[in-house]
Amino acid sequence: MTAANATVSAGFRSWLQRRRGVLLLAAALVLFPFVISILIDGQGVGAVLANDQGNARFLQGLAIEIFILALYAISYDLVLGITGLLSFGHAMFFAVGAYSFGILLKSFDIAWPVALLIVLVAALIQAVLFALVLPRVKGITFALVTLGLASVFWIVIQSSDLSDWAGAEIGLQGVQPPVWFLDTTNERFAFYLVTIAILIGVFMVYTRIVDSPAGKVLVAIRDNEDRALMLGYNTFWFKLLALTVASITAVLAGALHALHQPIVTPNVAGLGFTVTALLIILIGGVGTISGALVGAAVFRLLQFYLDKWFGGASDLLIGLAYVAIVLYLPFGIVGTWRAKAVQRRKGLDFVGSLVSGRKR
Amino acid sequence: MTLLAMRDVHTFIGQFHILEGVTLDVPEGEIVALLGRNGAGKTTTLKTAMGLTPARSGTITFDGVDISQRRSFDIASMGLGYVPENRAIFADLSVEENLRIAERQKGDFAKKEEFIFDLFPDLKRLIRLPGTNLSGGQQQMLAVARALVPDNRLLLIDEPSEGLAPVIIEHMMEAIRQLSDRSTVLLVEQNFIVASRLAQHYVIVEEGRTVQAGAMADLVDDEEAIKKYLGAA
Repeated sequence: MTAANATVSAGFRSWLQRRRGVLLLAAALVLFPFVISILIDGQGVGAVLANDQGNARFLQGLAIEIFILALYAISYDLVLGITGLLSFGHAMFFAVGAYSFGILLKSFDIAWPVALLIVLVAALIQAVLFALVLPRVKGITFALVTLGLASVFWIVIQSSDLSDWAGAEIGLQGVQPPVWFLDTTNERFAFYLVTIAILIGVFMVYTRIVDSPAGKVLVAIRDNEDRALMLGYNTFWFKLLALTVASITAVLAGALHALHQPIVTPNVAGLGFTVTALLIILIGGVGTISGALVGAAVFRLLQFYLDKWFGGASDLLIGLAYVAIVLYLPFGIVGTWRAKAVQRRKGLDFVGSLVSGRKR
Repeated sequence: MTLLAMRDVHTFIGQFHILEGVTLDVPEGEIVALLGRNGAGKTTTLKTAMGLTPARSGTITFDGVDISQRRSFDIASMGLGYVPENRAIFADLSVEENLRIAERQKGDFAKKEEFIFDLFPDLKRLIRLPGTNLSGGQQQMLAVARALVPDNRLLLIDEPSEGLAPVIIEHMMEAIRQLSDRSTVLLVEQNFIVASRLAQHYVIVEEGRTVQAGAMADLVDDEEAIKKYLGAA
């Protein structure tokens, strides 16, 4: 092996080591449908690959919903949790992706990569639109202006003038998968793998951003923007960066949503859907990034199973569950876990010092 | 040579006329104390120089360049460091991240590391700790240290002794004396004894106006002015 090869493989090994957690998670998610198929459905590996009916197929569908919610919530965590921008219009970021990708596939005869490119351009435009508001308004005013922007979009997509494209109040239906691996109906497992790959990729990019010097500036802006300014940072560009990355992530989530769901309703542009993102990162832990993944899973599973077991009473139980989470896990699941990790380490250090007899 | 000069500066915050004619000169390489009672406009003077509360009229020049209409981050990039009152650190960043974020060029921190940790040995021990876990005195040290990371020609330091224990005030004074070898300092200080021992020059503001300025040695003997403007003996 040459020296260059040795460094490459050493670099790869250290990368594997640093990313061990997320790679293990990815592997577990890939294996998950097979385990379900064998243990619960009593079918084999082939059933998953053949996309046969059963629990494995159904749970993949539910998992895809969770991944899409996680992508959406992770982008909100970058805006609100990391950078401290209180946006009430975040649902628009998602809805623009869902509607524009769906309409381009359904009503226009263009190749899906081109459609995706157009959607990404739309993502850039809406990020700039939100950013243009920033220098003028702060805090709750920014929240209201962004809510206004999203509401305009919410009204426009429901207008009867656009009903041929967007389907008015009913929503956008009949989006056909443009390529086999984006076909959630006939190629469920392939689509499942695609969403895992996107989620894991996005998660790695996000943790990289948050750990980078630019990420530290975003946290500094959240702590106190004036202090970041007086250190010489033109904070506008950093906020635009956060909004742009979040917008791109959210439109991707929206595009996947348009492929996965038989219908895209106008609800995904409403305030309620922004609150969904807020709830997810509150459950997972605001500003933790990985909390969005945990939060999305808890949110969707609670919603699904409480509804399945308790029917009409489920809304009340979901509400109680949120209250319990906020009361007993004030920093969310991941946030509280991390806060306790400091205590755990301190406790271990203390025990260690007792054992070794060293004074601390 | 005058590094920072403010001439008849007026600043409004909302509708309030806070600075009604501040004039001051900060000679390069010296420490100038900005004195006055609570609410006289000392902090606003620093914020105006820094562009955080921009001047409505008057001129502010830094090294001969008019900065009165520039934005904060531009002004900072010219070599002005600001240490605000109330331990203005980033609570969610670690001590090291607080210092590294102040880099204007890559390697600034590595270059200054030894000097900074000589001044504030405590910070070295706490380097991994989040800012929020530091004591008040440690946070104040970190705020001053952060302004030392880039090559700042002028440091604006607001009330470094406020709320600190006497022994830490001594330490802080010694640190400011040492860092003044490297850069010019405009110091806001309520504690007249601290100010008089550090600064070579003084400027007194009263109700947003400069009322008296000169050499610190003269002010120390001017009991009448001290009583009138500072309310201290």
